[in-house]
Amino acid sequence: MPLWFELAALMLVAYVAGIGIGWALWGRHVTHKE
Amino acid sequence: MPIRPSFVIVAGALLTGASAYLLAEPVAPDFIAGLEAQSAEAIDDAGGQGVTARFASATGAPSRHPLLSGGERLDETTRAKVARAVYDVPGVGGVVWSDGTVRAESDEPTYQPLHCQEDVEGLLRTRSIRFEEASSAILPASRILLDEVADALRPCLGSIIAITGHTDQSGAEPGNLALSMDRARAVREALVRRGIPRDGLRASGVGSSQPVDGLAPTDPANRRIEFSVIRTEPLRPTPVDTPGAR
Repeated sequence: MPLWFELAALMLVAYVAGIGIGWALWGRHVTHKE
Repeated sequence: MPIRPSFVIVAGALLTGASAYLLAEPVAPDFIAGLEAQSAEAIDDAGGQGVTARFASATGAPSRHPLLSGGERLDETTRAKVARAVYDVPGVGGVVWSDGTVRAESDEPTYQPLHCQEDVEGLLRTRSIRFEEASSAILPASRILLDEVADALRPCLGSIIAITGHTDQSGAEPGNLALSMDRARAVREALVRRGIPRDGLRASGVGSSQPVDGLAPTDPANRRIEFSVIRTEPLRPTPVDTPGAR
């Protein structure tokens, strides 16, 4: 596995986790409209 | 026109991937060169003469996962030690041998006698399985000893147990060979009757070719039956790429 691929995978996981955490903390009210 | 959130997320992912590539490319050669130098040192320290570690992927891109090649003449324990040494270099990922297909689960040597061999050897240290003169018939007095041997071997069920018959040098060698073989077989049958599965027992006879260390080949004390337990656990494939001999 090339080094850049490992780094890309790691950064993408962090990106997705960041989006998930960001949505859970601040974005819920945007997607969960009553 | 509002930008769709899904488009932003995908664009962000692409940007993340691209920036990872751009970040890694200039740093990788120096980083890998450092790993290579440390691994070469570790291989030398572990006694792996002729082993080289190639830190590149199949396409030739720098990689943290080395492919070890060479060292075909080294024994398995040294190979496992070398793989472990490279694996222990900080920054190195999984280690794979170029001539290996199975990743060993641990760095233990693949051949390892179990405790029951020591138990049986302990039983046979002071007593021995006795046979009738020039015959493979086990004397009734040895039945209790055989019971104890069978009990000692029971924890090793599933392993291959080798039963080797030995004789002293009195008499002609072809006869000795046949006798030692017959006696080993007799012991095997006796163990089978005591509930040890036949497919795990291997009987062989070596005649007088392997006398006890320190004894004259003609010494009657060379007449003996030896047991050795060979560990044969099935190879379990594992997703964890811990280093091994192959």
